[in-house]
Amino acid sequence: MSGQREVAERGRRLAVALFDYGVGNLHSLGKALEHAGADVLVTDDWSAALAREVLVLPGVGAFAAALEALPDDRTAIVERIRSGMPVLGICLGMQLLFDTSEEGEGRGLGVVPGRVRRVRAGVVPQMGWNEIEMGEDPIFEGLSELVAYYANSYVCEPRDAEDAIGWTECEDDRFAAAVRRGSIVGVQCHPEKSSTAGRQLIANFLRDAERRVRAGAEAAR
Amino acid sequence: MLRPRVVVCLDVKDGRVVKGVNFEGLRDMGDPVELAARYEAEGADEICFLDISASHEGRGTLLDTVRRTAEVLFVPLTVGGGIRSADDIGPLLRAGADKISVNSAAVRDPSVLTEGARRYGAQCIVASIDAARQDDGTWRHYTHGGRTRTDLDAVAWAASCADHGAGEILLTSIDRDGVRGGYDLELTRAVSDRVDVPVVASGGAGEAAHLRDAFLEGHASAALLAGILHEGLTTVGELKAALTGWNVPVRPYRRATSP
Repeated sequence: MSGQREVAERGRRLAVALFDYGVGNLHSLGKALEHAGADVLVTDDWSAALAREVLVLPGVGAFAAALEALPDDRTAIVERIRSGMPVLGICLGMQLLFDTSEEGEGRGLGVVPGRVRRVRAGVVPQMGWNEIEMGEDPIFEGLSELVAYYANSYVCEPRDAEDAIGWTECEDDRFAAAVRRGSIVGVQCHPEKSSTAGRQLIANFLRDAERRVRAGAEAAR
Repeated sequence: MLRPRVVVCLDVKDGRVVKGVNFEGLRDMGDPVELAARYEAEGADEICFLDISASHEGRGTLLDTVRRTAEVLFVPLTVGGGIRSADDIGPLLRAGADKISVNSAAVRDPSVLTEGARRYGAQCIVASIDAARQDDGTWRHYTHGGRTRTDLDAVAWAASCADHGAGEILLTSIDRDGVRGGYDLELTRAVSDRVDVPVVASGGAGEAAHLRDAFLEGHASAALLAGILHEGLTTVGELKAALTGWNVPVRPYRRATSP
């Protein structure tokens, strides 16, 4: 029985797919998700990933290289995400949620309308800890302030301003630090590298995702 | 606003943290996994492993050390030492490193930086510059742990590394390393003002004021230190408290609690 049809019972661990593009470090992110109570499957197989309850797109690598890990026909992925599968895209993984990127050829998943552009700053990559101005969203629950680790040369520009739920300033640039569109969440920072506060953000995302999965299962009954 | 970073460096040999004592031998300082986690808890913004294993066995041990570290460490981890080609980068990243620093291999063939950046993104490729001041006031770049002098001007070479794809410069002053009289601020400023990627100042940290000077006068994005912490002369928390007192906007130090 596939994870998506299972009813999320209280106390059962949320079935999370951590997608592996084959390049970067997934250990810290995997451990952070596990510490927050998730049952993590690291996989490079999209059908296995989509059969889980929650999808996490990690954030290491170049845009074009990550696109190579996407199948030619993305219909199944896009449909599953649009039907309410909670998604957390981190850094590059956030950028993949958008339509296009200045960094490379090809189209992203397009589940959050907008584009990816280069950071407008003298020193690029933006490398280090930076403050996130937090909007109202469950992923920021209990965080009075959030200084998170960034390592990026590109940032997302959502078409719909209300999709942005957090902002960060880098030199004179101000960009969407986090977006939400329904069950889809993207963060430009690396919460798995942002010490205690980052792990709190991951735990918050999972708690909200679990609520959504359970509500979806209730509605389907 | 991007916060100036405090980076803690650990010399790792055959899976242990070591420290040289007057060049007469290496003293065992402990388990890299435990020490890395302890420094995160003390407020370190980043950890750097410099692998000084010479043997193949040592390299294998390094991958295992990185893997075990990445499972308990939730701040970025840079790993340097012994990278010979772009093919050596992938396994370290897979094992759990966030950034890889390269020195000698880039001098032999700078395309290791370009290829590394193409495959994994510039943000994880660090060019390590070991610079020593020459009689004419310029700085020369050295390889092989500071033993081999090249004919490269260190400042120009740093710029060239950035052009070739490095996303960060780890800049060590050989003259200041271990002396604890402060970073080479002139060198740090010369490189920071020349390149448009972040520069990590290294070599010479003896007290909090040295870090402040590296940021404010040296224009460094990060300051790396080792000895004064390993010997227990101060802690990252104490350094950050002093920096905050001088209005250097480091990431606030809070005792980490496991969520």
